Amino acid sequence: MTHVRLRNVNVRIPVYDAQALRLLRLPSFGQAKVGTNTASRDHGVLVMHALKNIDLDLSEGDRVCLIGHNGAGKTTLLRLVAGIYPPDTGTVSLQGEAFALLGGTMALNSDATGYENIRLMATLYDWPQDAYAESVKDIEDFTELGEYLSLPVRVYSAGMHARLAFALATAQAPDILLIDEGIGAGDAHFQEKAQQRVQQFVSRARIMLLASHSIALCRAMCTKALVLSKGEAIFFGDIEEGFKVYAGHS
Amino acid sequence: MALTTSSPATQTFPTYLARLVRDRLHNSWKSLQWAWLDTVCQYRRSRIGPLWETINVIVMLLGLSLVSSAIFGSNLRDIVGYVAIGIIVWSAIAALISEGTMSFVRNTGYVTSSTLDVDLYVGRSVFKVFITFAHHVLVYVLGVAIGFVPIGWTSLLAIPGILLLFINGFWVVTTFAFICARFRDIDPIVRNLLQLAFFVTPVFWNYKAIASDRMFIVDYNIIFYFIEIVRSPLLGEIPPLSHYLVIGCVTVVGYLIAWQTYRRMRPRLAFFV
Repeated sequence: MTHVRLRNVNVRIPVYDAQALRLLRLPSFGQAKVGTNTASRDHGVLVMHALKNIDLDLSEGDRVCLIGHNGAGKTTLLRLVAGIYPPDTGTVSLQGEAFALLGGTMALNSDATGYENIRLMATLYDWPQDAYAESVKDIEDFTELGEYLSLPVRVYSAGMHARLAFALATAQAPDILLIDEGIGAGDAHFQEKAQQRVQQFVSRARIMLLASHSIALCRAMCTKALVLSKGEAIFFGDIEEGFKVYAGHS
Repeated sequence: MALTTSSPATQTFPTYLARLVRDRLHNSWKSLQWAWLDTVCQYRRSRIGPLWETINVIVMLLGLSLVSSAIFGSNLRDIVGYVAIGIIVWSAIAALISEGTMSFVRNTGYVTSSTLDVDLYVGRSVFKVFITFAHHVLVYVLGVAIGFVPIGWTSLLAIPGILLLFINGFWVVTTFAFICARFRDIDPIVRNLLQLAFFVTPVFWNYKAIASDRMFIVDYNIIFYFIEIVRSPLLGEIPPLSHYLVIGCVTVVGYLIAWQTYRRMRPRLAFFV
């Protein structure tokens, strides 16, 4: 059974900064206000308290949107679940393979063509060899990029870039899909296709976490909401109620 | 602090080791393809591509051979082969170190948004250097064709030398990549020392020509041994066993350092870059 389980998790992000020793006094974080509830100093290193005492249980079929203001900890939570950030305290346990589509523009090689990028992803993420042609066909169909797939990615528009990135991220049906604003780009037609594709995923009983500011998008793709505020989870449950909490909170 | 993922709860040490080795080899193969794509993309709009680096080497070696033969009074013809191989191996070592310092910083996008194994980035750097190095074989072939460089069965001993060089490349890149991602002052220091190392190491001057009481600058120079295990067989001399012993020790100690660095810094890598 695919699941995500967070128990009393805290994430503290150190902000490294070399103080003094520079001839020119550049503005440094040394003066940053500390001692508030979101930042402190630890052995001289500024530490951001990005997530505080998070408990979360997700099981198969959960489609959860993360809502909260900028800096509330949405991306941090996704990175935590993906295993990119370690928890400072608490435990994170996953059953199933997580795949993150973060930052909207996945690290595509801009000098390589669309096809070369597909090949690279296939290599890096061990796509099954025998189904490779099928996967490529699938990506061609989904992105509708046509001839552009033979051109270097740097000539793509932002929307085309997002389409390819999204297609690559969702090509192999990960057990746990983490999306961060990734599909904000792209036109209405693409949005619709992206939603269909995600629905397919979820119908195969997977877990999805989506961080987005678009209420329409969250509503279309998710059933539950996790509302974050200054690193704390203030609500987890039905999506509509989540929106209410979020609206009331702000 | 704990992070658990689905994995068989208990596994014996041999199976663990076997899996570790298999994964590393598999990742090396992946990163070779990645480095190849990088090379292809980088030189896509250039007519001769990575051979520009080879031309660089040829220009360097002609200049340095001239200087070297003038200073040490040796015959230009005798020293060209020595300098050529010296520069080729040196440029691989220098590239491994300087690529290494930037290895993770350059892959920030991947490090902060994916959970790919870090040895993929390391391999990407090492194989990039290897591909360039492979192009320099042309210089060697040219040297043999002209007759500046002898060829014989001893030359084959250079192959294990090259292998050892790049096997060590992995720990060098791993260690520097972690440390330079965390401490941004190390990179300029390393580049600085690298320049000095070029002059201190017998790359373009023959170590047999220096005063015996200063021999320590060669004896304690690790880079010297890596150059020699490739250069002397190509020039028809079998390297002394002691060279291999030194390199064996360096390899073991190096991997221990890299492993420690990995263990301590890997969890926080996404915070560094």
